[in-house]
Amino acid sequence: MRGLLKGALAASVLVTLVLTGCSSPEPEEGGGAPAELVVGSTDPVPNLTPGRQSNAFGLTLSIFSPLTFLDGDGELSYLAAESVESDDQIDWTITLRDGWTFHDGTPVTAQDYVDTWNTVAYGPNAFENSGQLSVIEGYADLNPTEGEPTTDELSGLAVVDDLTFTVTLERADSQFPIELSQAQTAFYPMPQSAFDDLEAYGEQPIGNGPLMLSAAWTEGEPIVAERYADYAGDEPTVDKITWVPYTDRLTAYTDALAGNVDITWLPATRMRQVTDDFDEENIYSFAAPGISYLGIPYWDARFDDIRVRQAISMAIDREAINDALFGDLNAPATAWTPSIMPGNPDGICGEFCEYDPEAAAALLEEAGGFEGQLTLHFPGGAGHDDLYNAMANSLRQNLGIDAIAKPSVGWAEFGQDRNNQVLDGPFFSRWGALYPSQQSTLRAMFSAAPNCNNCGGEPNPDVDAALNEADATGTEDGTAYAKAQELIAEQFPIIPLFEESYSYVTSDRIAGLTASAVGEPILTQVVLAED
Amino acid sequence: MIRFISRRLLELVIVFFGVTFVIYCAVFVLPGDPIAALGGERPLPESVQQQLRSQYGLDLPLWQQYLNYLGGLARGDLGTTFTGQSVSEQMASRWPTTITLALTAWSLTVLISIVLGLAAGLRQGSAVDRTVLLGTIVAESVPIFVMGITAQYIFGIKLGWTPIAGVADGWPRAYILPALIIAIYGLAGVSRLMRGSVVDTMQSDFVRTLKAKGMSRRNIVGVHVMRNAAAPVVNVLAIQLGGLLGGTVVIEAIFNINGVGQLLYKAIQDQQGTLVVGVATTLVFIFLVTNVLVDVLSSVLDPRIRND
Repeated sequence: MRGLLKGALAASVLVTLVLTGCSSPEPEEGGGAPAELVVGSTDPVPNLTPGRQSNAFGLTLSIFSPLTFLDGDGELSYLAAESVESDDQIDWTITLRDGWTFHDGTPVTAQDYVDTWNTVAYGPNAFENSGQLSVIEGYADLNPTEGEPTTDELSGLAVVDDLTFTVTLERADSQFPIELSQAQTAFYPMPQSAFDDLEAYGEQPIGNGPLMLSAAWTEGEPIVAERYADYAGDEPTVDKITWVPYTDRLTAYTDALAGNVDITWLPATRMRQVTDDFDEENIYSFAAPGISYLGIPYWDARFDDIRVRQAISMAIDREAINDALFGDLNAPATAWTPSIMPGNPDGICGEFCEYDPEAAAALLEEAGGFEGQLTLHFPGGAGHDDLYNAMANSLRQNLGIDAIAKPSVGWAEFGQDRNNQVLDGPFFSRWGALYPSQQSTLRAMFSAAPNCNNCGGEPNPDVDAALNEADATGTEDGTAYAKAQELIAEQFPIIPLFEESYSYVTSDRIAGLTASAVGEPILTQVVLAED
Repeated sequence: MIRFISRRLLELVIVFFGVTFVIYCAVFVLPGDPIAALGGERPLPESVQQQLRSQYGLDLPLWQQYLNYLGGLARGDLGTTFTGQSVSEQMASRWPTTITLALTAWSLTVLISIVLGLAAGLRQGSAVDRTVLLGTIVAESVPIFVMGITAQYIFGIKLGWTPIAGVADGWPRAYILPALIIAIYGLAGVSRLMRGSVVDTMQSDFVRTLKAKGMSRRNIVGVHVMRNAAAPVVNVLAIQLGGLLGGTVVIEAIFNINGVGQLLYKAIQDQQGTLVVGVATTLVFIFLVTNVLVDVLSSVLDPRIRND
């Protein structure tokens, strides 16, 4: 026992030594070595099959190549596809480029696409991204509301030859080539070997992209992808990318600050201080096809008068909030879709999206004021507290009404209350489009069969007709959808708030990031700094 | 002795089922549909949702789900997540990391609290005593994530002594900082207990006798005081070890340590009910078993306990 105290003291000294003395050697630097990137990410869910993957976008796009690709300027190019053509916007012919192979060496064929899309669309497989294929004829047969489907093949798909297949859509859709672009991963191809064991494929997918996975993925562990020598598209600028999953975005940010991570997101809580932590050239902010709104409970009669909705909109100081909460990285919305989308009718919201407290108060007065408490609802635990408290403050001060902000327990409760129409006040609403066409956002929010239940206000048959018209006659320039937005502006069903941007910080090893049209950097085209 | 042990085991079983039932209900009675929430704002097609609900038995009444869960538990099956992964497998790969972290943190707690407790107890009322008391209270009252983030900044970025995240650097470099922070939160209690114990023992008759016989202070403290003062402390430390194996949730998240605590943190974030219940159940089980072991061992050392 006598030695215990001594031992304790000795051990504490040892601990101190470990803490202070011995740092391990610095990691090796490039200098002629292969170009490697370390990316801070979240752990992918639930597996890496593109038809199921919803958050490892950078990874999926590095090991797969989409049929078409939209760049940051909204220009559509053809990647794995030679062409995507139609005369009537209903029957489409997709021709693949010759000479493309999967990472297992097998050629990419039209049959692979058809088989993959059938697998993804087949209801009992329960693939999370299955809904992206719902435009294809026959989707409903594979996904009956009751019982088992009687077929496992989409009637709208037909193989013509090795490199050609045809797609028949449910209805005319002028935006189909854009829908095939990078972020709608349900349209990616899988090789025949995938269908033997989809579980195993989900751990180590074999793609047709510039990089290939060198080992199967284990949940919680880094994922490594290396250059695929026989890739038929543009050469990647990197030889190897390691995605390190972080539970907490702030930890990834701190690790980037220490130089251990080359690219990672900028967490919302650091938006205001990022310029103190990083040099200007290490901060990237890309306009994203996401937009946030304040949803209106159209089931609550107090919001029937359009002037009430407009008054609420005018009482919110978007500029000040953007500056104070988002470090000026987002942009106040001036239309119902973000301005990154081709043909977006910027400013169509007009004076009603501009801050004017006097006019707002007068408008509310004119509409007969507001009865009772106005509660702003938002999903708790997702970092929206500051924004919703700020908006409630604005409404209280500028409109003289009793406004409060109220979080739900979590996303599940919020979603359920919204879908069941029990929310008694304006609520959180947003849409992040997977392809930057106004169609994506407008259809999701405002069509008769919206993707986002109760996100976009009372369905309006005129808007629906305008959307159908634009789908049938529109082009890639997106102007055809402006008509629908005019009708929305007249009805003012919900309040546009902010156009989103996706922001990243990088280490000094990165000299340049290029954004694709969905606001994320193209990892295989990163410009590395010269050593 | 056998009666004592069987009584303790029976208590363990009752508490275990009670606690798992509460956790199960808390997770699955929460408002909101976990399957619908899987897609976030982008709703999953209705057919996909239905498929997943029946696949994971969520269309059954709660009592039936719970019974099924217990049935699985009896076979050693903790179930699968809503994304089809085995809960046991996910935990298995994470145990070594968590055990390493917990043992490191626990060893630091033992070392530091005994040193601090002795230093304070032997100089009762002195500046050292008051500094230890105040220091441990202050340290303990800083929220753990504040301390974690600050420590990352100072030791990871400014000084570059430790990695900021992950355990790729191995033991001890990657573990020492998070372990030290965990240890700080156990320190205050244990060191004060040690201090009190030392003070009591120092004032006891036998120590006075030893002093009177002219034994050196060093021998008195090192041999006699330590042995007597350590007994209650060892008890608390053993229970703490059980708690540490599950109490590292926040630190594992902040330091991106791939352990069981991080798994639980992620499961709560992602509303993965089965995973939350599975991990929480296991942690409760470990804590309960540690407690029983400690009780049994103490009763071997001190038979009076058996009669309580």
